[in-house]
Amino acid sequence: MSREYSVIGKRLPGVDEKDKVLGSTVFADDFSLPGMLHAKVFRATKASARLKRLDVSKARALPGVACVLTAEDVPNNESVKNVVGQTTEVGLLEAKHQVLVRERVRYWGEPVALVAAETPKIAMEALKAIEVDYEELPGVFDPLEAMKPSAPKIHGDNNVIASWKLRKGDVAKGFAEADVIVENTYRTPRQEHAHIEPESGVAWVDDSGVVTVRYAAQVIEHYRDIATVLGIPESRVRIIGTLIGGGFGGKEDVTVEVFLALLAWKTGRPVKLTFTREEMGYGRHKRHPYVLKFKTGAKKDGTLTALEAEVVSDAGAYVYLSPWVLIYSTVHSTGPYLIPNVKVDAYSVLTNNIMTSAFRGFGGMQMAVAYEAQMDELALRLGMDPLELRKKNFLKTGDVTASYQEITSQVRLEECARKALEALGPNSQPSSAHAKVGRGFACCWQSYGRMTYLHDTSNCWVNLEMDGSAVVRSGIPDLGGGQRESIRAIVAEVLGLKVQEVQVISTDSQVTPLAGTVTATRALYMSGNAAKLAAESVRRIIAEQAAEMLGARPEDLELRDKTVFCREEPGKKLALTEVIKQCLFRGRIPQALETFRAPFTEPITSDVIKDPVFPDFTFGAQAAEVEVDTETGQVKVLKWATAYDVGKAINLNRVEGQMEGGAAQGLGFGLMEDYLESDGLPLTWNLHDYLIPTSKDMPDIRCIVIESESGKGPYGAKGIGEPAIGAAAPALASAVRDAIGVRITHLPITPERVFFALQGKGGAA
Amino acid sequence: MSGFRFYRPDTLAQLLERKQKEGRRARILDGGSNVLVYVKEGTIEGGTLVDVRRLKALKGIAVKSGHVEIGAGEVIADIIASPVIRREASFLAEALQQFANPLVRNMATLAGNIADSSPIGDSIPPLLVLEAEVVAAGRQGRRVIPLDRFFTGPGANVLKPSEVILKIRFPVPGKGRGCFLKLGLRRGTSCSVASVAVWTQTKGGAIEEARIALGGVAPTPLRARLTEELLKGRKPDPELLERVAGRVQHEISPISDVRASAEYRRQVTAKLLAKALRHTLRLEE
Amino acid sequence: MAKTELYDITIKVNDRTVSARIPAETTLLDFLRDQGFIEVKRGCDKGDCGACTVIMDGKAILSCITLALQADGASVYTVKSLGTPQRLHPLQKAFVELEALQCGFCTPGMLLSAKALLDSNPHPTRSEIREAISGNLCRCTGYQKIVDAIEAVSKGAYR
Repeated sequence: MSREYSVIGKRLPGVDEKDKVLGSTVFADDFSLPGMLHAKVFRATKASARLKRLDVSKARALPGVACVLTAEDVPNNESVKNVVGQTTEVGLLEAKHQVLVRERVRYWGEPVALVAAETPKIAMEALKAIEVDYEELPGVFDPLEAMKPSAPKIHGDNNVIASWKLRKGDVAKGFAEADVIVENTYRTPRQEHAHIEPESGVAWVDDSGVVTVRYAAQVIEHYRDIATVLGIPESRVRIIGTLIGGGFGGKEDVTVEVFLALLAWKTGRPVKLTFTREEMGYGRHKRHPYVLKFKTGAKKDGTLTALEAEVVSDAGAYVYLSPWVLIYSTVHSTGPYLIPNVKVDAYSVLTNNIMTSAFRGFGGMQMAVAYEAQMDELALRLGMDPLELRKKNFLKTGDVTASYQEITSQVRLEECARKALEALGPNSQPSSAHAKVGRGFACCWQSYGRMTYLHDTSNCWVNLEMDGSAVVRSGIPDLGGGQRESIRAIVAEVLGLKVQEVQVISTDSQVTPLAGTVTATRALYMSGNAAKLAAESVRRIIAEQAAEMLGARPEDLELRDKTVFCREEPGKKLALTEVIKQCLFRGRIPQALETFRAPFTEPITSDVIKDPVFPDFTFGAQAAEVEVDTETGQVKVLKWATAYDVGKAINLNRVEGQMEGGAAQGLGFGLMEDYLESDGLPLTWNLHDYLIPTSKDMPDIRCIVIESESGKGPYGAKGIGEPAIGAAAPALASAVRDAIGVRITHLPITPERVFFALQGKGGAA
Repeated sequence: MSGFRFYRPDTLAQLLERKQKEGRRARILDGGSNVLVYVKEGTIEGGTLVDVRRLKALKGIAVKSGHVEIGAGEVIADIIASPVIRREASFLAEALQQFANPLVRNMATLAGNIADSSPIGDSIPPLLVLEAEVVAAGRQGRRVIPLDRFFTGPGANVLKPSEVILKIRFPVPGKGRGCFLKLGLRRGTSCSVASVAVWTQTKGGAIEEARIALGGVAPTPLRARLTEELLKGRKPDPELLERVAGRVQHEISPISDVRASAEYRRQVTAKLLAKALRHTLRLEE
Repeated sequence: MAKTELYDITIKVNDRTVSARIPAETTLLDFLRDQGFIEVKRGCDKGDCGACTVIMDGKAILSCITLALQADGASVYTVKSLGTPQRLHPLQKAFVELEALQCGFCTPGMLLSAKALLDSNPHPTRSEIREAISGNLCRCTGYQKIVDAIEAVSKGAYR
């Protein structure tokens, strides 16, 4: 069924790999300029307060301090983020983000002042010389509390910043028809991105007065935010994105760039800012923790009849992307199942906790914890095999979801789940009389491509050199997930070149056509399609020229190994270089700039989501085998398998890398990761206390790549970046449930939670 | 972080002289894995950083007069690999395998772990059941401090400001079996929520010697001597272990923190102890 | 602010002699990066992540919690000592071929821990490999292909 490609689908080493293993890659903090200053951020040490007094005079006076900036020094300190499509009935449409605290402190660690000094040491001394007085204000730290009318308000007069609904059929009727109803409340943790590279960058004003920031950016379009804050034209700001040492959404919102631009612009000198690991803890946004109340009903034969759910997320102290995350949650809340009667109410609520925003999965993956647990519990109550139960309810191509979106690509969930379970191999025996072994699996769905009402586009420019090699310019950032890699492979495939003959220049907002963000699992779908369009346009120019020269039709021609030839008569051929020469002679330049447009839909105008929101979905499953030490509650993960339909794997190594990495990050979310605060005071702000999986925590992962070629990306590809994390924690929870007979509903599944669940305290049945 | 000085003594005498002069302001750095973190955090401001990494007087792993002696300057990786330790006290090598991770084991020393005096220092419970002693030196001479009397509180010990740890020693272990279990929140490097070390010797089917040391469940690591009494002279059986597990919960005073609640620590210590004893007494798993 | 006392230091880094005058509290990581050895990464500065791993006296250590002056006179090796663009070390080849890296930030430290392992234990089990790299955190790969790559080299591949 699948075509043979020369480049697509192979295991090819990447462009950047060699530099990375040699240690030559210049990451953000590795770059320096002569005369560079070092910046530090002075942060609030209260969770909810009014800034009574701020005196930076002593800091300014320190020898070696070039400048100290406060809110007064920022041309446009407050910016308004409108979320398109959010209902006016709920919460505050406008919540002003502030670059630096002017008067109100809303979270512990909020930036109050910026320092730039000759050395990092002097910058640290300057921080110590800043004098500040706060008047503490009442704060609220629990989103359920924050929803109450009596709660202190973070912004304006309502802490509920967003609310979305699903309404389909009649849930009362649906539950009346159910033979079995399962009702549980689940809690998911506040997860930290914990990318190994801290947020970092260097800014300078170049010799034409353009404020330039070279930093680790998932979104180079932030030059617009810098321009807004500085009050200068967007054409006077340039962002050069570095190869990023891990993002996962942590480098998606504004990080260091606005601070750097301000300092470079004010001092006229280059400035470097790198966050400490501690600042990454208490100063950077996290994944939204959720409280998920799910009630699911099913008939004796396993057919789902109704879902009623209420989900509440902690939006932290500022809005950021919380409303969008909530849309994802709402749409994904049903799981990849056809449910005739659905009532979902989702809320995102401000608190004085650390901000929450984008993180791989973006609100979709937390839902899987609930919807998969519900399926498992239903199966147990019905005495049904859990895969059989799911098979009865999986969405199929052509089905319409509860958010009224038709599934247009293939759904290979049964195959994914079955293969993942099979890949676990024979059951392991418990290592002692006190150990229990269990297995579980989970399915998930996750959209790829941004929400369609955002009218997403991606640009790419391709040029053929005289010798037949190609240069590609794309603004796409590369987080290590092979974003540039895929573009190279696609252009090579279309133009019949070897990958080594394609050069990709990327991630410069004034040099490379903007390709959009690396977020929302859109990179391959958008920038890959854009690269394909541009390469195909160049191919057309070549084919038309060659057709003239060969006396053939352009559609009969093939490009391979720098030769253009007739498919039916391979002897009728020309060297690519000859064709290019003729093109140039005739002024037909073999270059193209193309724009790929995702489907454009109308903004969501009601709080009930009843229109398509996403281009498409990726479906997959993961399976786990665990051993639980019933004496201590410790969970040891013995085996793991992950199986996703990726549509088409452009590069197999890369796809597996995403699946394995996603499994690990999801395993961490399920087993050990929890960013804790106590009344807004950070508790786990470093990698000593915030635990992510080490090599000893991961089992070997079996990876099964399924290719339905039914996706909307290039060559039928779907996206894998975010989907890869979705089924992990649910699979783990399912395995633990199988092992100990009790469900832990509060993630992460710590030894203590297991320990007390075994005693019958906590957990659910 | 300002005003630090550096000093590298060439001899023990020079080291002791500097400590006599500056007391606690002279910070001993061997591995540096604790001290440097405090310097960066700003908990230590100023003073002298004293590098003893190459001091020969602190090196050496040998058996002397019936004691295994480990120089304060020996890194944990070398202790684990030492033929002397493998031959005379393989239990210690096994226990230290669980210490942090290979990178830290290449740098950290027992002396550093002991001097840091954290209730969750993972080298300490195994050393306690080996009845280790700290040999400390000051200008006034040497003194031997039993390890179970070394700690006075979290991060605090009886060392005088002018004293340094010279070596750690323990009697060559007899024909017994030891077991060290630490409970962390992940399999990789993690702070112990609770830890248990056990050393037992049996004779004629009865427990002749039983030593229990606990970490993370009191202001200092400690020997659970009252619980040990329950074991002496008895025949090992599951019922005995039940009683012992119950008893040990009364000898500890755990706290609640980000890692775990006091109640979990209390109950899980009992379980860990039972597990460790099953191992050394060769009872059914 | 009082004048900071400076101390002479000479270290051989990748067999090249480097000298400077530095404050006492300078860590080996600070020194190396200030001297241009930017391949040694700062991930946490507290010894928790392993990105700063270098080899000194034959042992893989954490340079961020090693005092630079303690390394005075010593020989330190960074990832740049492993191979050159023309001649990659087998571990480097394996990492590239088997995609044992994604963002690459943990990679310099990871490679050195792997090298230290194979130097002392040429035929490790997968479990021993996982133990050897357990001080090097990776957030991208899930460690799968890293373990595969190290195992492949230990079995003679990529030489």
